[in-house]
Amino acid sequence: MPADPLSATLFALSDATRRGLLARLATGDTTVSELAKPYDMSLAAISKHLKVLETAGLISRGREAQWRPCHLEAAPLRDVFEWLDSYRRFWDSSLDSLADYLAVMQRQGSGDPGS
Amino acid sequence: MSSVVDASSLNEPVVIVTRMLDAPRSLVWDAITDPKHVAHWYGGPGFTSPVCEMDVKPGGIWRHVMQAPNGAQFTINSVFLEVVEPERLVWKTIKDENRKPAPPTAVNTVTLEEQGGQTKWTLVARFDSIADRDISAGMGFGKMIGMGADRLAEHLRTM
Repeated sequence: MPADPLSATLFALSDATRRGLLARLATGDTTVSELAKPYDMSLAAISKHLKVLETAGLISRGREAQWRPCHLEAAPLRDVFEWLDSYRRFWDSSLDSLADYLAVMQRQGSGDPGS
Repeated sequence: MSSVVDASSLNEPVVIVTRMLDAPRSLVWDAITDPKHVAHWYGGPGFTSPVCEMDVKPGGIWRHVMQAPNGAQFTINSVFLEVVEPERLVWKTIKDENRKPAPPTAVNTVTLEEQGGQTKWTLVARFDSIADRDISAGMGFGKMIGMGADRLAEHLRTM
């Protein structure tokens, strides 16, 4: 299991079922049995997915003994979206420089441009 | 950003970047695989690359230290997974255990498509650890030079 929070969130998001569970919880809290309904999968299997989400801090569980509603925690998602965005910006920026550099390479005849 | 998560934003954690570059594909390939060239653009304006060594072959290591305009240095080391000149380059970043917390690792796939005299550059970056395991298993242990077969086997057992 990945150690850092971003990797834990990314691992949680890497599974389509878990993304679906989060999407459902984005519309409001609900129970495990409600969450399991759209899936052709045992409650135990759904619970395993919920455990991954809980470990990553993406959901929290209510404490009432009779029913433990699942709740979406938005902060880890915001953190990972920000991180993915910074990764995209790094490449956009690098590509700006690459585009300029390719122009230099072509002006100089694509040999070693020197330092 | 509002406090309600937009469900449509819950997509697979993949970053896709595309750019049309005004240069022929063979030149773009050189610019992204020759460390003498890569050092000139990697990181963007104001960044330099005090260290840029690339052994461009499957299993080869890409050692990179990037320096920001404020002097801060960042080490990004990677291993190449696929090299298909001049159309496809795949590399996986190596987790930097010295940074706490270590940034997530990525499998980066860059494809170059010739379009007229220009080149379409596309990056798909995948971050999940399931992809890591699939890539490692598909590669064959012998090709993961720099890891050693024993360490790789042990690592895969823990996943």
